[in-house]
Amino acid sequence: MNPLSSETFGENAKAALADVQLRGALKYATSLFGERRKEAAEGLSNWEGLRTQARAIKDEALLHLDRYLEEFVSNAEACGAQVHWARDAAEANSIICRLSKDARTIVKSKSMTTEETHLNHALEAAGVQVVETDLGEYIIQLAEETPSHIIAPAIHKTRRQVADLFTAELGTPATDDIAQLTRIARTTLRDRFAAADVGISGVNFGVAETGTIVIVENEGNIRLTTSVPKMHIAVMGIEKVVPRFADLDVFLKLLPRSATGQRSSTYQSFITGVKRQPTAEGPEELHIVLLDNGRSRLLAHPVTRQSLACLRCGACLNACPVYQQIGGHAYGSVYPGPIGAVITPQLMGIEKTAQLPYASSLCGACREVCPVKIDIPRLLLHLRSEIAPRKGSTTERLAFKMWGRVMTSPMLYKLSSIAGRIVQRVIPISKAWTKGRDLRPIESKSFHELWND
Amino acid sequence: MKVSLFVTCLVDQLWTSIGLSSVEVLRRVGCEVEFDKRQTCCAQPAFNTGYRDEARQVARRFISIFEESKADAIVSPSGSCTAMVHHYPELFADDPEWLERAQKVAAKTHELSSFLIRILKVEDVGASWNGRLTWHDACHGLRDLNIKSEPRTLIRNVRGAEFVELEHADACCGFGGTFSVKYPEISVAILDQKIEAIDRAGVQAVVSGDASCLMQIGGRLSRKGSKVRAMHLAELLASK
Amino acid sequence: MTNEARQAILSSIRSHLATSVPYDKRELSLHHANPENNPAILSKQASASLVETFKANLITVGAHCVIAQTDADIASALTRIISALQKTPIRAQRIAISDAPQIEHLLHQTDLEIEELAIAPNASDIFSFDVGITSTQAAIAETGTLVLDSTRERHRLVSLVPPVHIAIVDASKIYETLGEALAFIHKTEMSPAVTFVTGPSRTADIELTLTIGVHGPQELYVIINGST
Repeated sequence: MNPLSSETFGENAKAALADVQLRGALKYATSLFGERRKEAAEGLSNWEGLRTQARAIKDEALLHLDRYLEEFVSNAEACGAQVHWARDAAEANSIICRLSKDARTIVKSKSMTTEETHLNHALEAAGVQVVETDLGEYIIQLAEETPSHIIAPAIHKTRRQVADLFTAELGTPATDDIAQLTRIARTTLRDRFAAADVGISGVNFGVAETGTIVIVENEGNIRLTTSVPKMHIAVMGIEKVVPRFADLDVFLKLLPRSATGQRSSTYQSFITGVKRQPTAEGPEELHIVLLDNGRSRLLAHPVTRQSLACLRCGACLNACPVYQQIGGHAYGSVYPGPIGAVITPQLMGIEKTAQLPYASSLCGACREVCPVKIDIPRLLLHLRSEIAPRKGSTTERLAFKMWGRVMTSPMLYKLSSIAGRIVQRVIPISKAWTKGRDLRPIESKSFHELWND
Repeated sequence: MKVSLFVTCLVDQLWTSIGLSSVEVLRRVGCEVEFDKRQTCCAQPAFNTGYRDEARQVARRFISIFEESKADAIVSPSGSCTAMVHHYPELFADDPEWLERAQKVAAKTHELSSFLIRILKVEDVGASWNGRLTWHDACHGLRDLNIKSEPRTLIRNVRGAEFVELEHADACCGFGGTFSVKYPEISVAILDQKIEAIDRAGVQAVVSGDASCLMQIGGRLSRKGSKVRAMHLAELLASK
Repeated sequence: MTNEARQAILSSIRSHLATSVPYDKRELSLHHANPENNPAILSKQASASLVETFKANLITVGAHCVIAQTDADIASALTRIISALQKTPIRAQRIAISDAPQIEHLLHQTDLEIEELAIAPNASDIFSFDVGITSTQAAIAETGTLVLDSTRERHRLVSLVPPVHIAIVDASKIYETLGEALAFIHKTEMSPAVTFVTGPSRTADIELTLTIGVHGPQELYVIINGST
């Protein structure tokens, strides 16, 4: 199934709105996530202070990103990690394909960064089989779909759909029982873990001070992916670096609460290089692939730089009235929702993504829930100011030029209000509005005209 | 106290009773109200759509007009327009002269309920209105200006009014300016969540501080044949 | 090849940061950011001991917890847990233990009948075991978390692969907060792998319905050794 394109966002959204099952699933999931996040935040006596602190740490890390990246790499390499730098998605994929070319079985844990590079396609094109092990990712891999949510990739699927999928792809008996479906995935994937030569994971945080990569999860597949195979490849966006080990205290409190309302993820892995003794447990090789893919460009302005503070928690998706109605696929981009609407145009360029920053009512709910206080509405407005002059339709650009003249001339303003009254009576204004809503008629006398000194 | 009214282009053209009610309420609490007829718009439509040059053009006009006023405050019956004026410094970030002028005007500009409660310290404006009503938190007023308790305090002092808290009162109504016509289906889908909550509240009126939200909500209520009235806070407070 | 990429990326970072400088200055004239330094405090239960808090939080996250005061207590707790499991489909007949000496010693103090006992089996063998028993290097009371340092004990796979994990925690090694535990594992020579474990494995990926027991253990039993 081909993923939708962000170029057809408007059409995608309309189709999503007509999907009753999707809307039901979204309503349930986003409100549940939202409630849990809120409760978890209220369980900390200084949630706001923590957010401020987290943002300050990220700002510091980003303002000195070159220095902290070099420190991270130096410390990681000193502990036996091999670090590779990838300027773009193609380079990252090519490095990973080269490293895993002799692998017979590759297991992979959930990583939005590898979705961004379309790593699985590249591996498959190179003739290497890779299996997703995160339950949600495993489901969509079988379904040949893309994730519709940053945290819960298969949120759009009912248990029935999952059951049918398993029956079709794995030959398992039909069942409506979620515990049973989970057990099927566990049993099937167990053999892959046992046989895996290479494990590919993402990275939540890279600590400059120690060269440690930190990865958090609930299922256990990341621990398996990163302990069983002989080679572990960790793909890390360059913005994931944090300066000090102690900084983790702040982020490991914010992330699970913001993502799922948990006080702590079930498993948190702190990996620093490779085993010091050959007989010890764990991989023999650790390869960290650092990915730029447009991120460094975002450093050029404080408004855009804050995009890089994102923890990929998904809280903004759950809070967004637009995402709540249309889900993730409609955005036609790897990252959906509010954060997707701002980073996709910045990473991919505005050619095909120009609609995304306009897919928002600017309500600000996202900014309220963001653990690192990214001002998404301000970013959306910033992007709109870059898109409108370049990609706005001629009609629109002219309309606003005229609007500017009318609004700066009291005479033109008065004339246009009279004209508006006539026009509204004669021409059905804006079908886009009146399709679903009644329109107030223009007043026969404006407030200006009613005012008596 | 002398107040200069910024009535907003939406109220001026489409909902004059909000303007008239605002004047009534301000006078009732002892303010002298002036209205500078040169005023037009706060520039929000251009700014929100991405046309910053045109926005600056209109913002400069707003600043030039209102900085001349001898009034103690500029008051507007719109959270989103007030928030826009508060954004003016950002529009002029690289123009030190206009930046200063923008900051001065922004500092004097207040939304109506915020002005009554925070500046005048008035909680009861002598209003009465019989019936059951609820409040919708308009997004810019709520999140940009922190207006949440002020309208509720004012409403609770309206004699005869039975106030019911709306479920998800702070959820967006789906207007979002040009969003409402660029993506009308999404706008209405979001709106319908609000309408359902209003239905469940069993009220005669839904009150808000922004004419744009009220047009959105009211437009759908009337399309659905609902008897629920969409009313601006100023209209409620002017009622006797 | 990678050095060229390294230089390109670092230089891109530097040049874009340089571009940002005048805009950052303008930001300062618009906003004032004052980062606070407030470590967040979890809502505490009034005057509970570390052990009690730890136990309460273990239960909250779905782990089982027993407090033992003597070695004999621990052994009998082990016996109870394993014999109960032996009556279930888990079978608990093939037991993998870490290389912590006290674990083997404890098992020999029980009179459990099991088919196989192995010390830290490697990756190709571990998948056939039913129960894994390990000790831990530390714990965190405020979240019910176990701290496993792979350089101090061979328990990386034993604590992960078998469907049941039994962990023995020294009461004296229970820290109150995450911050303290992070400081504990932060050494000049970092361990190659430290794992924090909070409860049994779980997912809510299907219809957001919580299911316990995915790829990691389905059951977590914690025996707190209160004698230390």
